[in-house]
Amino acid sequence: MPAAVVPDLNTSLPTQHTLIPFLQSQSQNTLTRLYQKPSSCLAIFRLLAPLERQLVMNLLWLESAIPVATMAAWVARDGKKLYDAAVVNLGNLHILPSSMVKLALNSTFKTSFRHAITGGGTSGSFGVPVEKDDKRPALDLGALDSYALERWETILHYMVSSGSGQYPSKPSQGVLYLLQRSGLMANIHGALQITSFGFQFLLNSPHEQLWNLLLQYLHMAEERQMDLVEVLSFLFMLSTMELGREYSTEHLSETQKAMLEDLRDYGLIWQRKPNSRRFNPTRLATTLTSSSPPLPTSTTTSSGPAEGFIILETNYRLYAYTDNPLQTAVLNLFVTLKYRFPNLVVGTITRDSVKKALQSGISSDQIISYLSTHAHPQMRKNNPLLPVTVQDQIRLWELEKNRLKSQEGYLYTAFASQADYELVLNYAKQLNTVLWENTAKRCFFGSLDGHANIRGFIERRTGATG
Amino acid sequence: MRAIKGVLLQCDPAVKQILLAMNEKQSFIIEELDDYHLVIKADEEYRIRRELEAELEKNTYSLEGS
Repeated sequence: MPAAVVPDLNTSLPTQHTLIPFLQSQSQNTLTRLYQKPSSCLAIFRLLAPLERQLVMNLLWLESAIPVATMAAWVARDGKKLYDAAVVNLGNLHILPSSMVKLALNSTFKTSFRHAITGGGTSGSFGVPVEKDDKRPALDLGALDSYALERWETILHYMVSSGSGQYPSKPSQGVLYLLQRSGLMANIHGALQITSFGFQFLLNSPHEQLWNLLLQYLHMAEERQMDLVEVLSFLFMLSTMELGREYSTEHLSETQKAMLEDLRDYGLIWQRKPNSRRFNPTRLATTLTSSSPPLPTSTTTSSGPAEGFIILETNYRLYAYTDNPLQTAVLNLFVTLKYRFPNLVVGTITRDSVKKALQSGISSDQIISYLSTHAHPQMRKNNPLLPVTVQDQIRLWELEKNRLKSQEGYLYTAFASQADYELVLNYAKQLNTVLWENTAKRCFFGSLDGHANIRGFIERRTGATG
Repeated sequence: MRAIKGVLLQCDPAVKQILLAMNEKQSFIIEELDDYHLVIKADEEYRIRRELEAELEKNTYSLEGS
């Protein structure tokens, strides 16, 4: 056992994986059922923060519970806050039931996780691989990667070009529904359009994008009356599978078989035919709980922030070294594109192009952050990264759009006396509905939702005095 | 005491002057509160926004010459 919990110099709490809060919101019953699967335990373990992982490992091989005080003795004072947070987190996941006296892992979790590490058992929770079929050879890694990439980029590309009136290949109905449900796209005038939230989504790394969508999928699964444990454990199973290997569908439950179709649409798995009895997980699936990139990095087409491609000059001219239609389409949201060469797109950021973007709900900060995350390595020599003139101008254009603010409500005026005015004004202030006031003119403006209350208040008063 | 239904507009003084000029043509202002605030008729808001936008657009120079 390591001597002490290493105090982190940076006392701020590490960022959590997006799935953890979702798991914590589930009932103990659901989680315990999930922990019966060794693959789920391993996958969740991989999603935990480093300190939480260490705590789990420390307790995993202990047969009996250990006193809380013994554990706490290992923690240096600087690390106390982190340790407490980790224990609470594990407690919420029901991995480490919170107790004032003794610490011990959830017994189901302990048994399954030991299974996952030592192997053995015939639960098949890591998937059942099938023998190679020489007559129908599986896809090789390259083909599998390009399949996953193609599927994933189809979704993103569809989102991005939805506002421009041109429609590239449409993803399946299931994907469209998911995009709409997750608020990434909205139905405006009978057609799906990308929302402001959707644009932010495009700026995320592929890993975050994937989990964002899967999280929505999980929420939907609850509504579709699918068994959440089955859905989750299948995702976790996929995440522990080996890339390039074929697995059998025969051991899957009915729910999981139904999921195959959805996951095919997202590019997480590949099947020769819809009713094929074997499937191949793609890199998108096998990296779900790992830190390796979900899309192949060898092709420069992936929109990862590692490889920047945008050069922005002080004269608002923008050069993008890309031949990827997806990236070009994203740029087209806020840049007036001028020329297009095999590996280069040239355009200008103009007032009109930015205004168009602002009108579709994209904010100036989002534009600027997109430009800086995708800046070309050459640009990184500049300090600040983006020309200040351009940054400021984009912000000014946004301000220009908001020159007029409006709010519906009622103007209260012609009060009989100063006392009357102050009384009503104070009442309105308590309700927090006053938008504007002027004592000299003896009038104030209240928002719409406060009106019923204020009218009632005045009526009661006049009723009382009169 | 009186309560008048309307929309509170918050704007800068320059925009307010444009609005006042627009009001001459077709009246929509209920009350001028101060340099930054106006109360207008609720059902006129959409038209005002559109006309103001067109007015402001006249004062901008576009690179594309459109």
